[in-house]
Amino acid sequence: MARVLVTGAASRLGTVLAAELLADPQTERVVAIDTRDVDLPADDRLVHIAADLRSPDLSALLAPHRIDAIVHNDVLQFPEPGRSVRLLHDTNVVGTLQLLAAAEHLPELRTVVLRSSATIYGSEPNAPRFFTEAMADRFPLRTRWQRDVAEVERLIAAFARRRPDVTASILRFQPILGRTLDTPIMRLVASPVIPTWMGFDPMVQVIHGDDVVEALMATLRNPLRGPVNVAAEDTVSLSRVLRRLGKRAIPLLPGAYEVVLGAAARLGLPRMDEDTMRFLRYGRGVDTTRMRTELGFEPTLSSIGAIELVAMAFEEAAA
Amino acid sequence: MKLPGLPPFPPLTAGPREDRWGYDPDFASSVEPWLEFMYDRWWRVVTTGVERLPADGPVLIVANHAGVVPWDASMMATGIRREEGDRYRHPRFLVLDWAFSLPWASVGIRRFGGVPASPHNARALLEEGHRVMVFPEGAKGVGKPYKNRYRLERFGRGGFVELAIRAQAPIVPCAIVGSEEIYPKIGELGLVARLTGAPYFPITPTFPLLGPFGAIPLPSRWRIEFDEPIDVSGLPPGAADDRARVFELAEHVRERIQAKVFSNLVEREGAFL
Repeated sequence: MARVLVTGAASRLGTVLAAELLADPQTERVVAIDTRDVDLPADDRLVHIAADLRSPDLSALLAPHRIDAIVHNDVLQFPEPGRSVRLLHDTNVVGTLQLLAAAEHLPELRTVVLRSSATIYGSEPNAPRFFTEAMADRFPLRTRWQRDVAEVERLIAAFARRRPDVTASILRFQPILGRTLDTPIMRLVASPVIPTWMGFDPMVQVIHGDDVVEALMATLRNPLRGPVNVAAEDTVSLSRVLRRLGKRAIPLLPGAYEVVLGAAARLGLPRMDEDTMRFLRYGRGVDTTRMRTELGFEPTLSSIGAIELVAMAFEEAAA
Repeated sequence: MKLPGLPPFPPLTAGPREDRWGYDPDFASSVEPWLEFMYDRWWRVVTTGVERLPADGPVLIVANHAGVVPWDASMMATGIRREEGDRYRHPRFLVLDWAFSLPWASVGIRRFGGVPASPHNARALLEEGHRVMVFPEGAKGVGKPYKNRYRLERFGRGGFVELAIRAQAPIVPCAIVGSEEIYPKIGELGLVARLTGAPYFPITPTFPLLGPFGAIPLPSRWRIEFDEPIDVSGLPPGAADDRARVFELAEHVRERIQAKVFSNLVEREGAFL
């Protein structure tokens, strides 16, 4: 990889990844694509394309850069005011479709890395404790985000079949923690009280944002075909997580959970997405054998370590 | 909730020593007094053959399953611990998936070493060198009517044999007598089971007639016997894919357990007194 395209470059993870790529002297060019401004120091190897993935001239915009690797990071997880579910689906699925259509015209392209999500496996009471990569169709896709992720993965897999010279890696990340990140799980742990399911204490496995960037870098160096689970090795009970974060849990009766949260959302409190609700009830673990053996990547932080770090950041902010 | 001589029931929140499966050794030892009470006073369990369990390495313990609410795994664990003392290794056990959709129960089972009944879980646990207890009769066994007591149901699809061969773990058959009588199922409410998603909704002489008191198990006398281990390490690696061979071995295990159930029935004499 020498000339890398990063989509969603203005997101925190995209920006850190771009910075990391620029820090590598072997990188000839980083093409950062995002409609928003990318917060990076000026560098003559950095090109910012202020465009939407869905813009019709994407192909023409990318053509001059002789891109040989794409990190597709612009897959959004949750709707919010001003970002409807419809728009979300558009960004995720149609955006990927357009990106891949443009990628067909990049003759030097060799690597595509997708930042996917372990949410594709779902959160189920009767699931294997650790999902392997082959188990994505174990359970029905219950939420909109799961269906989006599955469709984006299918698009990438189909592209890889059309272009055998391209290695398409799909990294399925467990929920991403990090002080500066805006992910569903960060929104959840940042709120002062946390609604839990009465009588449930799921096993939680996470990954720290810094390790996410390192995993993406590792994949660019050593691309692997197909899906790879990326997560810290350990899983932790939610009650331990909340205790460490010093958060109050508000246990809600299972039958009333959605009703209460729906009413809270109507009162102006943040709305919790369906995936997070299910995750809080049943949790999810993934098997990371492929990540460790084939990708050769080992996260620096364990799940409990990542939680510890976030807890310390909260304490600092409070002091 | 406090019974004379028993400590308060431990809280369900996780301790710092839980492992990646959610097993919490501190929780497991804090419920011990309760299990001992059931073991010694309530069911007066007699456990034999514990010395046949290999001390190290993975072991697949295969037992019969009965009694509507499966107490058997906890009594087997207690029996092993009592007999083994210091060299005790806590066994993990596979639990009917449905239990993991239940509030509280799912958490307690997990902290005590239960995992959802999936071959992937069993395989991974064996590869980590654990003792794993399985009940191949599954829901058919636990939910069998009282009139079919002491008769083993079909042993699933023989998946446990495949597992043992792949993980190179010896199979230890285990017969349990007494669990049949704890909740004698004389009927069932199919509609309620369907509405709640439960595998069955039992009618026993005390349930649902006496409401929550119907959940108190009858004080039958139990016997648990561990049989000689079956070594699978001599089998060629392809044996796990040889269906005929797998079925044959599964049937052999079932027959051995059935025979031990009968012999223990004779030795037990009275079911309750």
